[in-house]
Amino acid sequence: MGIYRKTVAPDSETASHAILVENLHKTFRLQHRKSASIKYAILNFYRKNPVEKREALKGVSFRVEHGETVALVGKNGSGKSTLLSLMAHVYKPTSGIIQLNGKIATLLELGAGFHPDLTGVENVELYGAILGLTIKEIHQKFDSIVKFAFDTPDLAEKIDTPLRNYSEGMKMRLGFSLAVHTDPDILLIDEVLAVGDEAFQQKCYRKIEEFQNEGKTIVFVAHYAHIIRQVASRVIWMHNGLIRMDGPLEPTLEAYLKASDDPNYHSKNS
Amino acid sequence: MSKELAELWRFRGLLWQLVRRDLKVRYKNSRLGFLWSIAPPLMQVAVITFAFRHATNFAAKFPSYSAFVLVAMIPWTYFQTAVQDSCQSILMMYTVIKKVYLPREIIPLSSTISNFIHFLLSWLVFVLYWYVFRRGPILWTVLWFPYLVIVQFMLVTGVGLFVACLNVFYEDIKYIVTIVMSLLLFVLPIMYVPEQVVYTSHIGGRYHPIFIWFYMNNPITALITGFRKTLLQPPSPAAVGGPSLPLNVGSLLFAGLISFGILIASYAYFNKRKWEFIERP
Repeated sequence: MGIYRKTVAPDSETASHAILVENLHKTFRLQHRKSASIKYAILNFYRKNPVEKREALKGVSFRVEHGETVALVGKNGSGKSTLLSLMAHVYKPTSGIIQLNGKIATLLELGAGFHPDLTGVENVELYGAILGLTIKEIHQKFDSIVKFAFDTPDLAEKIDTPLRNYSEGMKMRLGFSLAVHTDPDILLIDEVLAVGDEAFQQKCYRKIEEFQNEGKTIVFVAHYAHIIRQVASRVIWMHNGLIRMDGPLEPTLEAYLKASDDPNYHSKNS
Repeated sequence: MSKELAELWRFRGLLWQLVRRDLKVRYKNSRLGFLWSIAPPLMQVAVITFAFRHATNFAAKFPSYSAFVLVAMIPWTYFQTAVQDSCQSILMMYTVIKKVYLPREIIPLSSTISNFIHFLLSWLVFVLYWYVFRRGPILWTVLWFPYLVIVQFMLVTGVGLFVACLNVFYEDIKYIVTIVMSLLLFVLPIMYVPEQVVYTSHIGGRYHPIFIWFYMNNPITALITGFRKTLLQPPSPAAVGGPSLPLNVGSLLFAGLISFGILIASYAYFNKRKWEFIERP
């Protein structure tokens, strides 16, 4: 969704990679609030709630070449979404290097910028601007955006009515359509590939294949093995803020699936 | 800061879209639209004029009292609504900045800019008022108008950026802002003229001159007084308890300097903390 460019001098060693991550650390502060009562708040006004530091990423390094499609896998809380958010420039790293060369589009959550009282057209203009398109580009691509999102004319007709009349599925389709129309070099996707009905999903896969054929770089987070097998060429397995395994699709995915079948895997903190 | 400004310039298209959204959404489902943003200050002016004409004897001696209230109410309404809007703005866009990169200052900026457009349009009401009631000739000091408007924009944006940033970490700020605004409406010379405070109050005893200096030279009083003195004929000495003070050019230039300082300082503070927004504990 957000687009920014990081340019690296062409003679620099790093420019040949689409993504360069080196010894990346990210620490969050968590606050434990014992009670939300007014009495507690007044009596403990001067006392600070204890703040715990939680390391979401504990030193992650990898490189992604141009044109690669990488799936990030791992159980909940393993750090894959944090990693994707860092690539999207939503967070600043605590330490380490993260470099992306090219125009980035992130599909982290579809429709986060939508406003229910504005019409579909007005939302496309606003959301397109959040994604980094100019108003001119939005108007040029407008028909194509609507056509990709809604294939039947009765859905497309609703584009000039307020967005609160749309179903959740329609909003998501519009969001996905906008994001793929930003023409990125690097596409970051967070667990949103399961959007819409079967027909729309097939359309999304075709669009991703199109991106792959154009040599674009894709990094995505997914939980379903069939999605990963259909799209990815490489898998990075995250575990407790570290990379446990990084390699070609089948062996890495197999190892991960085997481990996640093990009941001990989810409780063990190793 | 130049890096931040360059980044802001790169995102100017988005800023404009957000301003447009603010302007559109506000009255989206209402019939009278923009009239809703000028009706409340107009009604306030009418009620204040009615009350003060009957409850005090100074307003009765004041032939164009309602004009004085209107000219103060327009900049005051801008200050109040823009600061309150930008105070809430970042939390309203929280889900977006958690997912998408955009320079965060765009969000409170869009609030102060969309309110600024309303502010400029509200002056049309004053022009209309002038035309209907014919309150004397147009003064050459009206040339100060663009300067005053720009200074007020800097002041409002500076205060807006500061409270918007602070409100992310301490949500008490929005309550404090609301209370302070309702108090300032009475403390500042909006329903009366500052000469009355200068001539009749004894607040501060020995330090009275210092109090008066702050009262007259804080940027909000300076701006309100500046608008009045550049647009309206001075009130009669009988109404304000002494000779009307002349237009204080030094005070206006000082207000410009202070407002610029507040804007720069708030922007620097905002930039220092903007990356903590989505990581607040």
